[in-house]
Amino acid sequence: MRQIVYLVKQNLKRKPFRTGLMLGGIALACAVLFAAAVLSKGIHATLQTAAERLGADIVAVPSSAGEEALSALISGNPTSFYMPASLEDAVRKVPGVQQTCAQVYLRSLDAACCVAPVALVGYNPERDFTITPWVLRKMSEPLRNDQIIVGAKVISAVVGTPAKAVGQRLIFMGKPFTVASILEPTGLGTDYTVFLTMETAYQMIEGSPLYPVPVKQDQISTILVKVAEGANPAEVAGTIEKQLPGMTTYTPGLLMRSFSGQLQSLVDALFTAGIVFSVLALALAGSLFALSVRQRMRELGLFMAIGAGRRLIFRLIVLEAVCIAGVGGLLGVFVGFAATWFSREVITAMIGNMYMWPETAYFVRVAVLITVATLTVGILGALYPAGRISRIEPYEAVRKGE
Amino acid sequence: MIRLEALGKRYKSVEVLNRITLTVDAGEFVVITGRSGGGKTTLLSIAGALTKPDEGAVYIEGIDILRLPESELAALRNRKIGFVFQFPSLIAALTVLDNVLLPVAFSDRSPNRTDRDFAESLLEQVGITGKNALYPSQLSGGQQRRVAIARAMMNRPSIILADEPTGDLDETTEAEIMNLFQEINRRGTTVVMVTHAVDYAELGKAYVLKNGNLFPYEGAALPASAARGATAAAPAGSVQGEVL
Repeated sequence: MRQIVYLVKQNLKRKPFRTGLMLGGIALACAVLFAAAVLSKGIHATLQTAAERLGADIVAVPSSAGEEALSALISGNPTSFYMPASLEDAVRKVPGVQQTCAQVYLRSLDAACCVAPVALVGYNPERDFTITPWVLRKMSEPLRNDQIIVGAKVISAVVGTPAKAVGQRLIFMGKPFTVASILEPTGLGTDYTVFLTMETAYQMIEGSPLYPVPVKQDQISTILVKVAEGANPAEVAGTIEKQLPGMTTYTPGLLMRSFSGQLQSLVDALFTAGIVFSVLALALAGSLFALSVRQRMRELGLFMAIGAGRRLIFRLIVLEAVCIAGVGGLLGVFVGFAATWFSREVITAMIGNMYMWPETAYFVRVAVLITVATLTVGILGALYPAGRISRIEPYEAVRKGE
Repeated sequence: MIRLEALGKRYKSVEVLNRITLTVDAGEFVVITGRSGGGKTTLLSIAGALTKPDEGAVYIEGIDILRLPESELAALRNRKIGFVFQFPSLIAALTVLDNVLLPVAFSDRSPNRTDRDFAESLLEQVGITGKNALYPSQLSGGQQRRVAIARAMMNRPSIILADEPTGDLDETTEAEIMNLFQEINRRGTTVVMVTHAVDYAELGKAYVLKNGNLFPYEGAALPASAARGATAAAPAGSVQGEVL
């Protein structure tokens, strides 16, 4: 076996350009597939976390909000959709609704209020069931008007240092606040969101002529709904839309599916590129490999004349394919990992600061899967030329190679 | 040592070998000559188990090799036969020494120190010194042929089959290579060589392959039937009479 490995190594070294071309093609395909898998998994994990973190069974927004609502709910992007605050009472009266909590999005459209682009969201601490469950340090009493709860990355975004101190004083729209607690990191827009009381939010609307916010005292942005035990969220959502025309509802699953649809094109493009690259790389590697075997026909015939059996010739060719596919696959996985790792900030920015990096085990699984798949394809691709040449008589192989 | 019985071989409609019978005894130097494309290489390839005849039988050391399974046939080629081809037959990716050691690599074991020493001594015997680490492309045609001869001798075969071993060499190198074959034969190895050059007929027992038939070589003048290009069975019978 050592001799076969040596022969394979020497043969691959003999034609460095051809070997490099085959390795490069396979590596490129594997790298793109790896990146697509990682990105897809990250997006999926992000959406799942977002759904869990939403904390509400239903989110109701004005129908006019359209796509903007999805963007705001998931990634905390700037918004300008509002509806009358009185609708919260109307929603609370819908059968199956147990609890509601309205939120108002204060963030100025030009984001001139703040040092860094963070979203300001007013909520009612007395009725809240979506924010306080996720604070890192439990609060003994409801949020006061001079306090804020901040997302995991707010302090570092505003102050510029990775501080996480509760008690930190921050100024938003000219008003000072004390950080009462910090939310668990999510990788979502919540990480860059500042939560303050609804009362404070309305005071800021009134008292901030320098930082105009397109919202009035009696307006809210969203209504988060918790359904009663045993009630079907989808049915309750349907009832809300029926009873309150002009209002659109999202259940977390639907919300995530709607949003993932926006990201799907990116993932689809990557997977398409991965598949196209794979087909091209396999065609290239397969052609070069078949050409290589054909060009070496005389050499393989000589091997047989010197005493190499058909099994040995077969193993020689298959091992060569295994080496190219294995090394190409591993190289591709490495390049794919490096590419996704070094571009993670870009990816995060591209999809609204909400990308979640998959766990290490997933990387290992994908790396193993891609390498094994590449090896399998490589072996399958080598079987035909290997089988064909190992059936040829030595004399014929030598003559065909002339 | 080698016995070919009524060998027949056709390529499409062309009859290359017409029921040829030949016996080569141990230690003989047999030269088979004839025109290019006359079937000499085919005959040698059948004798060396590189291809099968359409009819007839091939015995090597009493073994009917056409009945052997492929694995045993490969082992027979590896241990009992050394080939020297008419074209440059060294493996380009391997060094001179690795080329010579190749027959050992294809046997059941890896080359050891003794094998390396023997390979180096063979290279010395064929006149290649200080070039063990070079690659074939760094050698001249004559040097490559010498290395191929050393490789053919590596597993101490009892038979050397040489197919036009001096075909593309200059006269001086050609003579040196022929001397090597004579020396190999003097040491007891059976040599069967095919060549289109009749000059070497005197080196041993010589035959002419003409129109699929084998005739004893009778100097410059071929048998009348061969000269006419006859394919009748009679000449083959006369060969049998002499060789057997």
